[in-house]
Amino acid sequence: MASILKAILDWLRSLFWAEEMELTLVGLQNSGKTTLVNVIASGQFMEDMIPTVGFNMRKVTKGNVTMKLWDIGGQPRFRSMWERYCRGVHAIVFVIDAADHGKLDQARAELWSLLEKPQLGNIPVLVLGNKNDLDEALTVDQLIEAMNLQAITSREVACYSISAKNQINIDLTLKWLIKHSSTPTSLML
Amino acid sequence: MSRKKDEDSDELGALMNLDHSVVLQEARVFNETPVRPRHSRLLLAKILFLLYRGDTMSTAEATNLFFSITKLFQCTDMSLRQMVYLTIRELSTISEDVIMVTSSLMKDMQPNSEITYRANAMRALCKIIEPSMLPGIERFLKSAIVEKTPSIASAALVSSLHLFGEAKDVVRRWGNEVSEALGGKAVAQGSSFFGGSASQRQVASTSNIVQYHALGLLYAIRQHDRVAVLKLVQSLSGQGGRGGGWMGGGGGGGSALRSNAAQVMLVRYAVRVMENDPGLTAQLHALLEEWLKHRSDMVSLEAARAVCQLGSATGGQVAAAVGALQVFLSSPRAAVRFAAIRTLNALARTQAAAVAPCNVDMEGLITDSNRSVATFAITTLLKTGNEASVERLMKQMQGFMSEISDEFKIVVAEAVRSLCAKFPSKHGLFLGFLAGVLRDEGGFEFKRAAIEAVMDLARQGGESREAALAQLCEFIEDCEFSKLSVRVLHFLGDEGPATARPSVYIRHIYNRVVLENAVVRAAAVSALAKFGAAPRADAALQRSVRVLLTRCLDDRDDEVRDRAAWALRMTAADATRAKYVRDDSTFSLPVLERRLVEYCADAGAAARGRFSFGAVPRVSRAQEADARQRERLDAMDAVLTGSAVSAGPAAPATASAAAAAAEPATFSAAAPLYAAQLAAIPALAALGAQPLVSSARAVALTEAETEYVVRCVKHVYEHHVVFQFDVTNTIAEQVLEQVEVAMEPADDDAAAALRPVVAVPIPELRFDAPASAYVAFERVDPAVVPVAAFACTLRFVVKECDPATGAPEDGDDGFEDEYSLEPADVGAADFMEPAYLPDAAAGLWDALGADSEAVETFALASFDSIEDCLARVCELLAMSPADPAALKPRSKAAHQAVFTGKWLGRARTVARTRMTYQKGSGVTMELAVRSEDADASEAVVGAIA
Repeated sequence: MASILKAILDWLRSLFWAEEMELTLVGLQNSGKTTLVNVIASGQFMEDMIPTVGFNMRKVTKGNVTMKLWDIGGQPRFRSMWERYCRGVHAIVFVIDAADHGKLDQARAELWSLLEKPQLGNIPVLVLGNKNDLDEALTVDQLIEAMNLQAITSREVACYSISAKNQINIDLTLKWLIKHSSTPTSLML
Repeated sequence: MSRKKDEDSDELGALMNLDHSVVLQEARVFNETPVRPRHSRLLLAKILFLLYRGDTMSTAEATNLFFSITKLFQCTDMSLRQMVYLTIRELSTISEDVIMVTSSLMKDMQPNSEITYRANAMRALCKIIEPSMLPGIERFLKSAIVEKTPSIASAALVSSLHLFGEAKDVVRRWGNEVSEALGGKAVAQGSSFFGGSASQRQVASTSNIVQYHALGLLYAIRQHDRVAVLKLVQSLSGQGGRGGGWMGGGGGGGSALRSNAAQVMLVRYAVRVMENDPGLTAQLHALLEEWLKHRSDMVSLEAARAVCQLGSATGGQVAAAVGALQVFLSSPRAAVRFAAIRTLNALARTQAAAVAPCNVDMEGLITDSNRSVATFAITTLLKTGNEASVERLMKQMQGFMSEISDEFKIVVAEAVRSLCAKFPSKHGLFLGFLAGVLRDEGGFEFKRAAIEAVMDLARQGGESREAALAQLCEFIEDCEFSKLSVRVLHFLGDEGPATARPSVYIRHIYNRVVLENAVVRAAAVSALAKFGAAPRADAALQRSVRVLLTRCLDDRDDEVRDRAAWALRMTAADATRAKYVRDDSTFSLPVLERRLVEYCADAGAAARGRFSFGAVPRVSRAQEADARQRERLDAMDAVLTGSAVSAGPAAPATASAAAAAAEPATFSAAAPLYAAQLAAIPALAALGAQPLVSSARAVALTEAETEYVVRCVKHVYEHHVVFQFDVTNTIAEQVLEQVEVAMEPADDDAAAALRPVVAVPIPELRFDAPASAYVAFERVDPAVVPVAAFACTLRFVVKECDPATGAPEDGDDGFEDEYSLEPADVGAADFMEPAYLPDAAAGLWDALGADSEAVETFALASFDSIEDCLARVCELLAMSPADPAALKPRSKAAHQAVFTGKWLGRARTVARTRMTYQKGSGVTMELAVRSEDADASEAVVGAIA
């Protein structure tokens, strides 16, 4: 009985406090963006994805928040189009393959060039070091260092080390994202 | 209800006034969150409307729009998504980075999404995908092709057909799936292969369009494989059903085509098979006859059309087709009537008698409510009708001339024009009709067709000649088209002087000088000059013309004054008059044009000297008129058969080849072309600037339908003879390399007279791309005309290739092969350039003098008529007849003909033949030749022996 009441309450609450947020996932190819979206959406890990040609659009509902996820391809030809899909979103998620040391420099360059775009000023950024199930993966601190995140002062930045495969820190990521759903970008100072 | 209508019209009005920039401004709506599906959908419709209307959108605008539209993928509203797919398809060619939606579309076409999504996503995807990514979706497309839902299968098939152009290799791999879709799983045979055949049968039978799409794709995949296409036709028509295991999945056997559209395509493919392989004609004709009786009018019509257009159809087959069409003439549907009458009309052009059985039905159609049908009915009737019915028809036609469009008026005018030739006794009637239409309103093309018809009447002479000329005079009195006035004035100048009372026309012409614009005035002055110069012009007439011309000297326009002054000079003395105004020959215009272009293109030419008209062959006016007539008929046929069944790429090529072969050796328009080809080959350019004589006709050294088709053209240079072999490879799976022709002299004389100098092989010969190999010989003694025969063999290296790209397969070294050809020969005829020489029979003959004459009498017992003999002599001499009419002997017992030509392209040569025929002893011919080059006379006479 109590559970039914609770469900009805939840439903009522969702009617009044339902929130919608838009997120854009970017990052170099093979960093695990599409995999991460799948894990968030279905809670299941699927290996061996084909590269994203263009973008994928997914809608995911967590609690009373509906997240619209724009998952943009990471190959060089699509990077110039990241900005178009980052405009006006609630948060930008930048995914990095923390185990691929050779591409860290490239990832930092792309991240910084994206954040320099005037249109994207003030949008919170979440940097995710994916694949921390692998031995050679960087720790959070190493990643912050490698990405030079401490130098970002004008906006909110967070950095987590996650594993989409073993579902490590996915809950943390979601919590951070949902926290930013109610925060209109324009009011953030 | 009425209110709804008002809204609709308002909506339409709003669309009509759509402004490009406003719509693009509005497109910001797409970026809003949340998406507004209804609003966005309407806006997409507006964008599509703009694009369909033909508005141009810059790349930047389109790209911005495209990216805004991609935002709409977050909304799952089905009707919105459909519009998104459509708009993306339209933008795919304008916008940049359309590749961006690839992943999204791929997701939408997956088997687990909605049917509407899948079909539309596929159609959009094929527009934006890059061929390199095709393997990624191959699996999905393949399974979609055999999908039981028609909309998905159709979308997959049509998309594949679009992709076929870019990725032939990939799409070709789907042949089995396409066959399966074509075979239709509804055939009972399929039940053992497919589990759910019961439900499939139901779906497949309601929509057969999949078959149409599948057949189109299958044909595209197999079109270069003649055997496969034949099998396709046979198995689908039921003929080859017995052995129909060729189709991968095996839907084959029996007549499986339930779609009428597919059946129509099958008829067309059958016709193409027939064109490529005449050996199968009989077999496929049987099929066509069966299709004539098909229950669908569409198929039956197509089959009838095919039979009527096939050259190989026998009288009985055509009659059957006409019978089928006759039934359609009384169809309640205008489209069916139109299709039938149009086919009959085209048929009547070539075989009027075959159409005659439909005369009664067609007369009923004259009053048809559909004017197009009525017009075709009348023009067809005019072609098939007899003298008695023509009068009635013309009356009926006059009744509705004002109601039909110009386009059809032209058809009517052309029909009347051809009638004029057919029924000389009705000229008065036709003239009355044409006079009527000339007075009515009409566009330029229509008026032109009408005056051409009147001119034909005037040319044909007879009693209506003066009336026709009078009609033309009346026409130019009130003609709004300067071009037509000029044309008529020119014609009056040609024909008027020979009439009984030229002064009548002079009055009309001079009126133009007074009243018209400069262009017409100039033409009128030229026409006047012709009257003044006419041989029949008596002194009084000449004087009055000169008075009129003198008045023209005061004209405001330079050109008019110039022409008047020139005419006054030229008409003063009889000698100049004959030379300039009454010249009966003209330059061969294609050659003249070519020479002038060459002269202008060559920077040094002007320094070396003036353009030489001597190098341009002359033709008689009659010949030129003939050539024009032929061109006109060709053009008209092309217009009529343009959309015909035989529109395959091979058909025009064979048609033009046939036309070239049929053309008499009067004057060679091909010669300049050869000269350019030869000059491009360094080894041959060294022999001389251009050949003195090129043969006008290519001689076939193979049968027409063989693996390799070879035709030979000979070029004679000052000291050399060059054989040009035009080789065509008709096997799609082969590339030939190092193709050359080996020539063995047939006897010692030949070897002694001609010494081989150089052979130019064809480096690579691909399917259906003719190229030329050359063999050059030096004439050992330039004074002697070599008569020699050579045994010829085609030698080459064969390599397998991919029929689609034509590129030889890697690592295939090929093997050498040879192919024997008919022997090639060279003789006196090859040294003669057929050329028209004015005044050949009398003046020139005397001028050449008896010194150079060679005479011989031949008893030619093997001919049983003068006509046959004449044709053969014509061929052997390779000269131009002085009067084309002389080629058709009037008497069976005796005939004379004069031929002219230029020996080695220089020396003027005239040949006179006199023939008598007696039953039993055959033809006796006396041949007398005079030439500027005495050797030539001997050689020409020798050519007959």
